[in-house]
Amino acid sequence: MSARPARYVGQEILRREDDYLLRGEGRFVDDLPAPIGTLHLAFVLSPHAHARILSLDADAALALEGVVAVLSGADMAALVKPIVAEIEFPGYRRHGRQVIAKDEVRFVGEAVAVVAAECPYVAQDAAELVEVAYQQLPAVVRLEDATRPGQPQVHDEVPGNLYFEGRFATPGIDAAFAGAAHVIRERFRSGRVGGVPLEPRGCLAVPEHGDGMVFHSSTQVPHLLRTALAQYTGQPESSLRVLVPEVGGGFGTKAQIYPEEFVCVALARRFRRAVKWIQDRREELLTDIHARDHLYEVEAAVDDTGLVLGLRASVWTNGGAYSTLPFGCTLETTGGARMIVGPYGITQYAYEARAVATHTTPAGAYRGVAQPTCYMAIEGVMDRIARRLGLDPAEVRLRNMVPTASLPWTNVVGVRYDTGSFVESLRQAMAMIDYAGFRARQPADRLVDGKYRGIGICSFTEVSGTGAPGWRARGLVRLPGFDSGIVKVEPTGKVTAFVSHAHSGQGHYTTFAQVVADALGCELADVRIVEGDTAATPYGTNTFASRSAVTGGGAFIRAAGKVREKLRRIGAHMLEASVEDVVVQDGRVHIAGVPGHGLSFQQVAETAYAMNTATLPEGESFGLEDSDFYDPPLVTMANAAHIAQVAVDAEDGRVTIERYVVVHDCGRIINPMIVDGQIQGGVAQGIGEALMEEMVYDDSGQMLNASLLEYLLPTAADVPNYEIAHIESPSIDTVGGFKGVGEGGVIGAVPAVLNAVADALSRLDININTKPLRPSLLARLIREARARPG
Amino acid sequence: MGERIEVTLTVNQRKRRAQVEPRLLLVDYLRHELGLKGTHVGCEQGACGACTVLLDGRTARSCLHFVAALDGAQIRTVEDVAPSPELLHPIQQAFHRQHALQCGYCTPGFVMTTLELLAGNPDPSQTAIRRALTNNLCRCTGYANIVKAVTAAGKALREGSQA
Repeated sequence: MSARPARYVGQEILRREDDYLLRGEGRFVDDLPAPIGTLHLAFVLSPHAHARILSLDADAALALEGVVAVLSGADMAALVKPIVAEIEFPGYRRHGRQVIAKDEVRFVGEAVAVVAAECPYVAQDAAELVEVAYQQLPAVVRLEDATRPGQPQVHDEVPGNLYFEGRFATPGIDAAFAGAAHVIRERFRSGRVGGVPLEPRGCLAVPEHGDGMVFHSSTQVPHLLRTALAQYTGQPESSLRVLVPEVGGGFGTKAQIYPEEFVCVALARRFRRAVKWIQDRREELLTDIHARDHLYEVEAAVDDTGLVLGLRASVWTNGGAYSTLPFGCTLETTGGARMIVGPYGITQYAYEARAVATHTTPAGAYRGVAQPTCYMAIEGVMDRIARRLGLDPAEVRLRNMVPTASLPWTNVVGVRYDTGSFVESLRQAMAMIDYAGFRARQPADRLVDGKYRGIGICSFTEVSGTGAPGWRARGLVRLPGFDSGIVKVEPTGKVTAFVSHAHSGQGHYTTFAQVVADALGCELADVRIVEGDTAATPYGTNTFASRSAVTGGGAFIRAAGKVREKLRRIGAHMLEASVEDVVVQDGRVHIAGVPGHGLSFQQVAETAYAMNTATLPEGESFGLEDSDFYDPPLVTMANAAHIAQVAVDAEDGRVTIERYVVVHDCGRIINPMIVDGQIQGGVAQGIGEALMEEMVYDDSGQMLNASLLEYLLPTAADVPNYEIAHIESPSIDTVGGFKGVGEGGVIGAVPAVLNAVADALSRLDININTKPLRPSLLARLIREARARPG
Repeated sequence: MGERIEVTLTVNQRKRRAQVEPRLLLVDYLRHELGLKGTHVGCEQGACGACTVLLDGRTARSCLHFVAALDGAQIRTVEDVAPSPELLHPIQQAFHRQHALQCGYCTPGFVMTTLELLAGNPDPSQTAIRRALTNNLCRCTGYANIVKAVTAAGKALREGSQA
């Protein structure tokens, strides 16, 4: 069948989600009605980064009216097996985690006991009355210290605090360096941040008749969560239904599976009562996964024209105190090491990648994973090449990029770029921001009206829609890769479409309906999307790593295609025409070219469901639904160019983003409005990460800013108006041609902002190789630079 | 538990009498005693603005107010903004049309802040809008579309039409 022009895909369709959310009628996990008699949990958190638990006295807590139970780590160990992230990768050391610490605590915020009470206020009161005696032990906190001899050990199973060590080298790497005219070396250090969704996490477990259990959770991964809960608590998977309410932002943070979820289910089983837990902000900042605590030591072999002949990278990531489900503690490590070459045609490459254990909050998947930091490194190197050789930084990038004519291209670590627009997107971004004009106007000292002004680029590839081979390549053997869809034409002709995904603000009810309506050939208004319910939706890998358009869209296109064929077969039979002469279009099944001679979906559906006197074609089955899965290739590669123009105040060091341009290529766009929204939100997060956000630890392992008064998120006054354009290079490797867009904003913004500040301060001989660039840091660097003689 | 304090206050134009614990927060009263769950809790420290309501016509952090101290107060929450189940308020319409919300968790707070801003300044500059919006944190949208929505809502309200 020939492809029909899209009717809805590509259109700016306003969101279906908005009306109820704007009225305050969105039902988030804490808004769900809890059954009478629900137990409310409060966790007792360790105040120490590393300590032995000597004793736990719950008498005072239990004496409080309304307290039902206080459970220790030993109590919980009888109910939940130790959690083990099953990564199979050479150089990875496995270790377990008790859902409540039993003998030893390994980070500030790790739970040492849980209180169950009749009301949440009482549960919190009781948690404060639990007396825990600790023997404090020395802690290892900083990534740089973790593998030094004589440091405290985080786990017996992880000697030398080395969770993971991996190496890779192309055969010609040493020769590339031996023959190079220049070698550029730099060390890049990235501060630790978190996703910090506005809604903290929460869950509600409700026992049903028999051994049934309904589990509501603010998760991005309902199917993976259900399997893990069954595996570790003993609740039969088939009698466990995970339901995802509205989720108030995820950003990867809610794609991990956390101890509190296991505790909730286990206690609902134990007490045969509903059990609810709602996280507070301090717990969110202390216990949700952290990310980006990375160090890159990079050297590039370069010829006189600025061409990179070879690249060596030593990648260190701080994995924190435990490996977390489902990604473990190596996701950032392997990500940074494998993605760093980006859009560049670097053919000689070597890396050493290490994840270390420390007494800090576990690391995990936060929007962009290691891409903001590995591009901070490679894009920082591109700028240094330009400064060393006296070239323009944009020109150095353009010389090193894989040209569109060379696509498909398989990069040095084996990742295929099927289509893209590396050169075109950078050139277009340069034109939009008048890059040449800015450079021409920029004075040598960069100083205009008391501010240092600079411009910074990030050109990058963006991993999205990872399939099973992509996860296997990184040792993640229990991450499936595929997602699934079911498309069902109901007897009345309306369409219900079920997908394995679960949204946290992405607008799936709208965008997936666009995909289904086009793939099936029906009216958009007739399609309703169902997701976030494991009892209704088919299995899948779920919603993180810019997956949903690629994997959910692909699954829906395949499933809807089957249903459309069935509509044609039954319709042709009813119309007494041959199937080849019948098309499905605009909600009708009709003779090609004769829309008037046809049937409504309802008329065909009534035949399919045996609700009229017509008969089905010979051999045709009842019903009008089908399902399919879609497992994309290794990865689906999007790309973009970001350019930031900044002003750095010479006195107080404050950075103002004066202009911000993005040219993004996510292949075929489903809904441009939603794509732009993803980019805008991501850029704001990247600006926050580049300029203000950081989880600050002291040497004893205390996190010093576990509140939103001290962990600064960007506000409306900190971000610019974004200027966004698109290039569409549809993927030729994926069903539908879609590529992901969920992470590109943050990935590009971190390096672009850092490079712009570096450019602004370049004549002061200030080396920008760290983030965040807080005003206090920049003001000091500027003051010191100005005091230097010469 | 202990002593309880009697207060009378008006919530969304309806008079309410309540016997409350001295420590009961306004946001918990609204959410868990009145079932007005559109007011969200994001930080319980007054930093994020997700719990913003109008208290005697001015924005207030409902996570920082004790109900016991609000005798005689007038409270307005997001549930009292739309004129009917079929229609949205011009501010809500503008948020919808400008794609000014994603997950929607912070959105009720932004709607309340916008109500206050436009009541006091029907034609705010972009700078004034951004300054007013620093009252609230959003982690999804990057704010640009919220700024557009507030601008559009101001225009619609001035012209007496829908945004």
